[in-house]
This record gives sequence, C-alpha cells and structure tokens, in this order.
Amino acid sequence: MAQVNLQNVNKIYRSGRTEVHAVQDLNLEINNGEFVALLGPSGCGKTSTLRMIVGLEEISSGDINFNGKRVNELEPQHRNVAMAFETYALYPNFTIEENLAFPLEVRGVPEDERRRKARDIAEILKLTSILDQRPGALSGGQQQRVSLGRALIRDPSVFILDEVMSHIDAHLKFQMLFDLKAIHRDLGKTMVYVTHDQVEALALADRVAVMSNAKLQQVGTRNELYNAPANVFVADFIGEPPTNFFQAEVSDNGGGLALKTKDGALVFHLTEHRAGKIRALGGRDFIVGIRPQNLRLKDSEGKSSAHTGSDVHDITASILINEYLGERSILTFANGDTKFRALVPPETRAAPGEAVTLGYRPEDVMVFDAQTEALID
Amino acid sequence: MRGVSDMTATSSEISQTESGPKANSIDRDDPATFPDWFRARKARSNLIVARWVPIVLVGLPVLVLFGIVVYPTIWMFYHSVHDTNMMRLFQGNWSYIGFENFATVLGSDRFWDSTVHLLQYLSFGACLQVVLGTVLALILFELVKNNALRTLILILLVLPMMMSPSIVGVLWKFLLTPSNGAVNQALLNLGLISKHIEWFNSGISLWSIIVADIWNWTALPLLIVYSGRVSLPPAVYEAAKVDGASGWQVMRRITLPMLKEVIAIAFILRFTDAFKFVDLVYIMTSGGPAQSSELPTYIAFQRGIREFAIGEAAAYAIIIFAISAVIITLFLKYLKRVLKAQGIA
Repeated sequence: MAQVNLQNVNKIYRSGRTEVHAVQDLNLEINNGEFVALLGPSGCGKTSTLRMIVGLEEISSGDINFNGKRVNELEPQHRNVAMAFETYALYPNFTIEENLAFPLEVRGVPEDERRRKARDIAEILKLTSILDQRPGALSGGQQQRVSLGRALIRDPSVFILDEVMSHIDAHLKFQMLFDLKAIHRDLGKTMVYVTHDQVEALALADRVAVMSNAKLQQVGTRNELYNAPANVFVADFIGEPPTNFFQAEVSDNGGGLALKTKDGALVFHLTEHRAGKIRALGGRDFIVGIRPQNLRLKDSEGKSSAHTGSDVHDITASILINEYLGERSILTFANGDTKFRALVPPETRAAPGEAVTLGYRPEDVMVFDAQTEALID
Repeated sequence: MRGVSDMTATSSEISQTESGPKANSIDRDDPATFPDWFRARKARSNLIVARWVPIVLVGLPVLVLFGIVVYPTIWMFYHSVHDTNMMRLFQGNWSYIGFENFATVLGSDRFWDSTVHLLQYLSFGACLQVVLGTVLALILFELVKNNALRTLILILLVLPMMMSPSIVGVLWKFLLTPSNGAVNQALLNLGLISKHIEWFNSGISLWSIIVADIWNWTALPLLIVYSGRVSLPPAVYEAAKVDGASGWQVMRRITLPMLKEVIAIAFILRFTDAFKFVDLVYIMTSGGPAQSSELPTYIAFQRGIREFAIGEAAAYAIIIFAISAVIITLFLKYLKRVLKAQGIA
C-alpha cells in the first residue's frame, strides 16, 4: 500500500523542434487506500500523468513520491505498481490463464497457486470459459477484462487503471463498476483510475481529479465538483447535461444586487453572501452557471414541486425542444437569443412553443469571473 | 427437442427461399437501375479492354513459367529413368533403364559422404547462421538505443550479403591461402598458432566453406529477425515491465516465443538455399580435395553439366528435391501450427 504524491510534475514531449507541454505543474496527493479518478477530455494529459506514476514515461521536472520516497529514477519493475492498459497489451503467445498468471510467474509463485489465483480472478471477471484461449480470439471487451485481471491478480502498492471500461458494453460495465468498487473495498488498496467518462469517475472514486489542457483543474469529492466547481471548465465537464452558462453583468436595481444576461432577457438573483463578494469586486463582467436539474418547472398555480419552503425566484422562457430520455426528459428553452436546458420528470407534458415559468434557488446560481473563469464563492 | 430442431430447419429454409429472389430482384432493364450508356457498354462486353488483352497478360507468364519450370522438371523426371548422356542425347537413342540411376546414386559412397557433408552444412552453416543472426539482431535491438548507431551497425552487418557469392568465394580463398593468406598471417602474429594451417586440406576444407558462407549470409536471418522484433507491439513490453519481468524473462517468455514464426521463416529461407548451394563450393574447393567438401547439389552439377551423365544427375536432383521437400514441409507445418495457435491462420 502506498500514498502517492506528485510535486510540480511536468511532462514535455520533444520531437525535433516542436515541444508539447503535456502535463504542467501538477500537484496531487493520493492517500493510502484511496480511489482517485483522473478525469478529463482526450489529450488533457491524464494518461501522461499516469504513465509517469507507473514509470513508463520519464518525468521532465518535478518529483513523484511513494510513501515519501522519491521514485523518479525507478524502473516500473521496482515501483511495485500494477497497471491495466487501455490497449490491453496482452501477451499474444500466452493463453488467458497464462496472461493472468504472468505477474505471479515472474515472481516465482508455484504453479498450482498461480492457477488457483488466476481462476479466482477469472471468476470475478467472468472469464472462466475462455481461460484456454489466446487473446487473438477474444473480443475487445474480453481482452480488456483480462488486462484488468492481470493487474488485479497482484498485490502491488498502487493499482493504475487506464480507461479499463472503454470497450465494455453498457450492461456489463454497470456490473463491473460494482465489482471494481467491491474489490477496492475488500483490498483497501490505493487505486488511480483514468477515464474520460464522468459517470465512471463519479461512481467509483473517492476523489476525482479533473484535468484539462495539461493542467489539474480541481480535485474533490463528487459533491465538491458538483456544487463548487473551481472554474467554468469543471462546471461544464461535470454533470449531464452540461451546466447552462450565461454572459452576465451586474444590475443593481435598488432591491439588491442581481446579474442580468447581456441581452437583458434573464435576471439571476444571488445569495447575500455572493452578492457581497461581487459588490466588492466592482462592476465587471461575469459568467452565470446554473445546472439543468436546478431549474424546476412551475405548475399553473406557480408552485415548484421540489423547491418548497425556500426562497425561489422565477425566470420565464418558451420551450424549443423536448427530448424524452426514458427516466427523464431534457427541455431546451429559448428566451430571446439565450438558450438553456432543464431536466424535468419524464411525464412532463410540454409542447414546443409553450411559454413556461421556471423556478431556481439563489444558492444554486454559480458565478464565475468572466476573465479568469474562476468560481466566485 | 426434435420438433424444435425441425421447426428451425424449416424456418431457415423459408427465409432462404424468401431472401433468394429478393436479393436478385434488381430490374436490369429498368433505365432507373442502370443508365443507357452503361447498358450499351454492358451489351458489348463485360470488359473495358479488348478481349485479347487479359489472355495475353495471363498467357505470357504462364508460357514463361512452363518453359523454365514445368518443362525442365518433366524433362528431368523423364531422363532420371533413362540412360541419357550427352552423346545419346544428341543422337536421340536413349533407352529406359528403370531405377538404375537411383540405384547407382544411392549405392555410391560419394552420395552418402556428400549427404553427411550436407548435414554438417545444414547444422553448422544454415542453422548457425539463423542462431547467430537472431542473437545479433536481438542484441542490436535491445542494447543499441541510439538510432544512428543502430542503422550504421545494421548497414555494416548487411554489407557481406550484398556481395556476389563468386566474389565472396575468391575473397575467402585469398584470405585462407595457407602460405601468405591474411588469416594465417594474423593468427601467427597473434601467437595463436606456430605454423600455417592448411585451410583447404581434406577434413578442413568443408569447414572453410561453411565459415565463408556464414560470413556471407548471416545478415539475412539477422534482417528478418530484426524487422520481426521491430514490429512487435511496444505496449506488450510496457506491460511486461509493469508486471515485474526481468530482461531475461521478457526475452525467454515473450520476445522469443513471439518471434517463433519469423525465425521459422528465416530457417526455411536458409534451408532452401542450402539445397542449391554450389557457388562457394565450386569457387573455393571444387568439392576437393578428394571429394571431401562435396555437397549433393555440387555432384549433380558436376555429373550433369561437366561430365554429361544426364540421367544420373537427374536422379541426384530428384533425391535432393525429395529431402528438401520433407524438411521444408516440416517447417511449414510448424509455422502453420504456430500461426494457428495465435489465431492468425
């Protein structure tokens, strides 16, 4: 078991005269036994980060420590990490059983114990029926599970899992997320999980590290990322459907400070606390964000089902599109040139063109600085 | 159970009969299916070139192949059971003698001696070349990490292969000349030997040829194995590193098994060459002294081309062909098994 610590880690790829700064000044502390997900879009540097932790990629500058010990110069063999690869990287000349057992084989574990452990892990990952086959005959999802199994069979200090669910079909993925969570709970090992899928990250991880453009944007629990996203990118990336953003400016209309969209169509009221902060910053431009699930339809009596008791404000808009998605519906609204979305129960009857009133709570309104895109909290 | 299987059979039959005409139900006369110009052209011919073009394109190579492969082979089989020699050939009065030629060949010490020579050449020439080439290729790949240096070494190693075998033969004959050859001179100067070694004496001459051939041809298996190693997926090696395998474990359990088919191909190429290996023997020793460095192919060449015993030479050729066919078939079988195990073939 290990606590992993990354200090000012940089990765610069050079080829000829071009330089790519893939990871920039990354600081991350992964606690002993913690499950941390590295989440970000393609090309954000998450896989580079992970390869540096494993030791497959040289660190351009900065330090990586396992349990306080610097491992920069250690070869992967000596870092005692286990990794599941996105490209599977199975040994084509071995059977599945040999593939699973190879990490044990090189450690000199006796054959019968190797076989027993391989069968145990195959049981969990539903690979028992294909143990005698070779990787060439397997589907992508099966190979991916073998790759995961080869990582899980060992007793390393850190588990590194790189996009291990990307080729597994939705139904099996649901089961495997559950199994992986259970494995983590049973083993209590440090796990680092790289993914571009926020559902996987939020479902599995104790903490999620969101990366974008080679930089770490925010590290936090699900609730922190959801309710206090550090900047516009995190607010946009976390949550499905994405947050509604509006360019807004301050409108101090006597009754209290509010933010008005640029075209003047919508006005957002803020909590006293945030209003004070914005007042202190002066009359600059801001970005307002509000999550689709925090906008609630009001019925004809003007009551919003979920927002009882609190201070609810209204905005009006007309319905543009109604997308029915089974257990919920997404409504897209237009008010002037401004378009935004809200999540509503599937039974909602709403015809395009209909004008409706939506309620929101001031505490759900997120305000970002228009220049730095940082949250004002 | 029976009822169910019957049901599925009939339903599949129905779907076949239904889908059959449907799939072909394009109305070719309908102008909407094919435009007029297309149908006009289709009416003339299925081809966009003149009718004789494909016949000539396929026919010429077939003729050439027939002329240089099929006809000589039949000719060889025919004369292997006749008492043909050059004079009879010109007079046209050869006669059928059954398998007498084969009996002559298989009954002669010369043939069996040359077969032993061939086995020596196969195991210490061809096999050693593949082993050496493999070792050199893997050392080059694993230990030399600088790209420019790697290319330079590769070029140097491949140079001998680019030389014509006749030049290589002459070169090595010079190098191994007992009295003033460079090899003896060097060994004397280093104090490793006290008097000249007679490299072309009986008992050593075959080994001299083998050494020259190794120098000449080791680069071929080296290139084959090197390119095979280059194309192995790097991710597998990363996985092996992370799994904790040492360099030797990776080599033994992963690299070599994954190169099995490539190495088998190198063996096949060197073995096929071994059966037609005449050039260095002819130039360096002419099979001597006293036939001590002869290979079966060299005898076939000697008997047929120089002594005009065409029937006997044909028998030699057929026997060599049979031996090589057996060995190459074994290699191909092995190759197929390896590929099948990986799900490739």
